[in-house]
Amino acid sequence: MIAKISRQRYLYAMLIPAVVITFIFAYVPLFGWFIAFVNYKPGFSLFSSEWIGFQQFKAFFTETKDYVYLLRNTLSINIGSLIANLGTAFVFALLLNEVRLRFFGKLIQTVTFFPFFISWIIIYSLSNALFATSAGAINQMLVQWGWMDEGMNVLGDPKYAWAFIIAIGVWKYLGYNSVIFISSIASIPAEYYEAAQIDGANRWQRMLYITVPNLVPTLIVLLILNSGWILNSNFEQFYLFTNTTNWEKMEVLDIYIYKYGLQLLNYPYATAVGIMKTVMSLLIIVSVNAIAKRATGKAIF
Amino acid sequence: MKERTISGSLFDVANTLFMLFILSVMVVPFVYILSYSFSNPGMLKGGLILWPAGFTLDSYTKAFADPAVLKSVFISVARTVLGPALMLLFTSMGAYALTRSDLGGVKFFRKYFVFTLYFSSGIIPMYLLMGYLQLKGTFLVYVLPGAVSVFSMVLIKTYIEALPRELEEAAVVDGANDFRLFFQVIFPICTPVFAAVVLFECVNQWNAFIDTQIYNTMSPDLYPLQYVLYNTLNQINSLEQLKLQGQKGLGAITPQTFKMAITVITVLPIAFVYPFLQKYFVKGLLVGSIKG
Repeated sequence: MIAKISRQRYLYAMLIPAVVITFIFAYVPLFGWFIAFVNYKPGFSLFSSEWIGFQQFKAFFTETKDYVYLLRNTLSINIGSLIANLGTAFVFALLLNEVRLRFFGKLIQTVTFFPFFISWIIIYSLSNALFATSAGAINQMLVQWGWMDEGMNVLGDPKYAWAFIIAIGVWKYLGYNSVIFISSIASIPAEYYEAAQIDGANRWQRMLYITVPNLVPTLIVLLILNSGWILNSNFEQFYLFTNTTNWEKMEVLDIYIYKYGLQLLNYPYATAVGIMKTVMSLLIIVSVNAIAKRATGKAIF
Repeated sequence: MKERTISGSLFDVANTLFMLFILSVMVVPFVYILSYSFSNPGMLKGGLILWPAGFTLDSYTKAFADPAVLKSVFISVARTVLGPALMLLFTSMGAYALTRSDLGGVKFFRKYFVFTLYFSSGIIPMYLLMGYLQLKGTFLVYVLPGAVSVFSMVLIKTYIEALPRELEEAAVVDGANDFRLFFQVIFPICTPVFAAVVLFECVNQWNAFIDTQIYNTMSPDLYPLQYVLYNTLNQINSLEQLKLQGQKGLGAITPQTFKMAITVITVLPIAFVYPFLQKYFVKGLLVGSIKG
């Protein structure tokens, strides 16, 4: 045993830094979950705090009705995004495949992939530049043309919140999501199309009866795999686009946790909500994985 | 496959128009801010522009004369260089060790890393930890927590496992130890996968902003460019709110063109490396998807 370890000392020397860093930044914070069960006040020692058990967990469901709008927003926006993102990418890949000029197709693919790499702040800046109520270019244009008396408050009005946040995600992720569909289309054997053509199938029929059925399994696998993350939102996206006027339709669990924890300094409550979110997520991921395994023979882990 | 029918041609026309529409939805926002940033504020009449109204470099001269902007560019560049370098070093060494099935406890270590992909402690415990470690208000908070990326580790490990074993065997016969084996034999031939994970991490580092918001709001010296852009935008937004409420006497209003110029400066580096990103990232993405 000792001899083996000493023989492999260089390997361990390479592994240990990664193990230690992961331990500090991924495992140690788990001990912080302790805080949800005690009456912690910032500035006092964590371990001298009084044990209060599941009080904070109960408070989330009994003392406020916040969970109603939080779960509604989180689930609606995330499920809406999942369907919108994959649906648009699916249709986009199908149509892109029908573009006859190779150069044009490549150009479109290159341009649509770009927004994937830009930060949410840039997207926030672009959104303000285009959609701000009075200074936004689109609103100014619509008012100048006389289509509207005053600009739509897309960024602030709760009635636009869901549609806007989902649309902006589609814009950012369209190119990224379509890559997998495009490569699945490329892997469909050319003989299928040739055989269909000999049988007299036109282009539309070939798309409908060959490309689409070959692409649907990919769509289903992606839907199942991604549905495990429906409680997790992109923090930066929601941090930037949630504001004092649209919060009732825009605020999601992650933002709520941030607000209660780091702005209102109620650490135990925020941590408790965070723990519930993580545990529920884990349960969803495990069950989704089981379903995926049964349905497709593929598993996430 | 050439066939010409009326409905087919109609479809081609409609499809091309649709693709042009998609193209403009993707491109116009960028063209707009670019044009706006070069425009003369006095000549702007509002509405969508695709070409500068007048031409001036004033907003850029003003941006680069601002010490806060210059400092933030330095911070952004520093984290974009150091973050991925640290990540590559620690992650690739770990990944290599995990490929060696003869390593004692390797099964445990593999699970130990992959487990972290499926849960996170959450924002509050992380915040408290950074406080205990005295990392709040330091540059290290940007690069240290990401020094091991398990996602990259999985990609690198998969890549190394697909390499021919003879390479290692030959080196072992030559008497190389594991350390030299990795750095002299394995490391140099992993360039494609390294390029993918490093570029991805560079983009993450360049784009990051929430870590500054959470840990470093009290240290203006450590603001990256993204955060300066965020502050510039919010400053203007609140000023616009005041203006809407009919308040007068706001002399030092930051012009819209300035904010557009900062946006352009922030997005430009991504645009420059984009050809590489696209090339390496699509490969990485497909490898990841096959793995998943």
